[in-house]
Amino acid sequence: MTTEEHVVLNGIDVTEFEEALKLVAATPGAHRAPKASRVRWAGGLKFKVGVRNHTFLVDEPPHLKGEDTAPNAVEYVLGAYGACLATGFVLNATRRGIAIHNLELALDSTQDNAFSFLGINDEGHSGLDRVRVKLYVQADADEATLQEVWQHTLRTSPVGNSLTRVVDIEAELAVFP
Amino acid sequence: MPVPGVPLFPVTVVGSWPRPRYLLDALRKRQAGRLSFEEFNEVADRAVLEALKVQDEAGVDIVSDGEQRRDNFYSFVCEKLEGTRLMSLAEIMDVVEDKSSFEAILRQRDTPAFAIHNPTVTGKLSPRMPLALDEYLFLRRHTRKPIKVALPGPYLLTRAMWVEGITNYAYASQEELADDIVRILRDELIALRDAGCAFVQFDEPVLSDVLYGPDVKERTFMCASMAASSGDKHKELTWAARLMNEIVRGVDGIEIGVHVCRGNFTRNEAGLLTGSYEPMIPYLLLMQLHQLVLEYATPRAGDLDVWERYPRVREIGLGVVNPRSEGVESPDEIVAKVKQALRYFEPEQIYLNPDCGFGTFAERPMNDFETAAHKLAAIGAAARELRKVRTAV
Repeated sequence: MTTEEHVVLNGIDVTEFEEALKLVAATPGAHRAPKASRVRWAGGLKFKVGVRNHTFLVDEPPHLKGEDTAPNAVEYVLGAYGACLATGFVLNATRRGIAIHNLELALDSTQDNAFSFLGINDEGHSGLDRVRVKLYVQADADEATLQEVWQHTLRTSPVGNSLTRVVDIEAELAVFP
Repeated sequence: MPVPGVPLFPVTVVGSWPRPRYLLDALRKRQAGRLSFEEFNEVADRAVLEALKVQDEAGVDIVSDGEQRRDNFYSFVCEKLEGTRLMSLAEIMDVVEDKSSFEAILRQRDTPAFAIHNPTVTGKLSPRMPLALDEYLFLRRHTRKPIKVALPGPYLLTRAMWVEGITNYAYASQEELADDIVRILRDELIALRDAGCAFVQFDEPVLSDVLYGPDVKERTFMCASMAASSGDKHKELTWAARLMNEIVRGVDGIEIGVHVCRGNFTRNEAGLLTGSYEPMIPYLLLMQLHQLVLEYATPRAGDLDVWERYPRVREIGLGVVNPRSEGVESPDEIVAKVKQALRYFEPEQIYLNPDCGFGTFAERPMNDFETAAHKLAAIGAAARELRKVRTAV
């Protein structure tokens, strides 16, 4: 949609977004994007995480004797990676003028040895060792263009870059007609 | 009651035919709200006539409209009924508690939630328009042959359209929902009969999920509500038969059948259910119907000899070609299959059809037009051969 001054695509005011980018780019030190968080114990294996003015819960599933009121920390990492890629894809596609109709990511992961965290044994490490991610997208662009946007998104994802130091990530794209 | 005016070993179809490209484009525009119901139907009229022509050329005696107006064999009812909405799984997952079992379905099918749609009951059901009478009346104007109309079965609709977290705000129980579905299907059956329709076939593929699935309560792509079922196979199948009987009770003057297959959404046969009809037969026979339309072209459905215990008990719509395979069955193979069936059925009781439709899901046809047409023609040739032999005897 184009108003007199603004271009709006995929629910994003592109004109305002580009202005915001200019402003951020001119702010000294903004490229470091510092983050802060506070985690408070809420009893048992439950925690309240504060980030800026937001709070979310972390819990463990019942088989680990949590109350299962929220995802656990590793699930948040996986979800955060997916959300980061989704954000990146939408932003990159929008800046190229591509209208997106539907977008969904499916992710799964394994850990090298979750038992080392649980104290069952000491072998290997408890971290993620493999993540698979598949992007399903319906958009007004040909597959080659969408593949280009996807590869750019994968390369530049902040969460992805944080993970790729240690995690082998397999990524796929599925374009829906 | 046999369909009047058809030759021995009448050739028919299970219902659906692949959709031409222009119709799929129109369907997508219709789903996106860019075509009206009337505009879409104008496009579909042409496709129906093309599907009819193929059937005529193949020697089909009881024709269908190829379900060209439907997105698939059951969710099309959303357009016709108040109180329903075609919801994407993405929307459903936002409201249901048991998200992880839906996630498992998506992983199994390697598909996004936005691509799967479920006809969901969101309010009290009432007809906005007839379910299939309009389809029938259009075809009636273009052929003198007897017409078969397929309708989704009552058990399928009840199980598929109930989504816990949504439907339970409109209906207190699945039984209460089933009462309304039965009423709507019965009214449709009577309207079709009164308009001169020769054959109504109720599609109940979910009976296979109950019987051959790994767990009755396991959700399937087509039937998200199985988790809310009793979990008891006998109870479920008995209920399915009771619902069917409530629809057909006292409705004379029309051939009524039920079609049960083991899935028709992938060409990967290993991805479909397997199991002989043997344990299902007692429940099918509880249904007061004329014809059982069954798949017998795939070994996954077991052998015909299970009918030895139930000789000549019903008419059979004998599945003689596999709609999903590349190779075209020869008329000789089909004749041999019919000869097997003749051990357990009278010649007058045997109708010939493919195992299922060729385009159960509009976006996922099981074969190309050419192969599908050759398969229908093979059935036609086999029927002519069988009639010749019969006449000679």
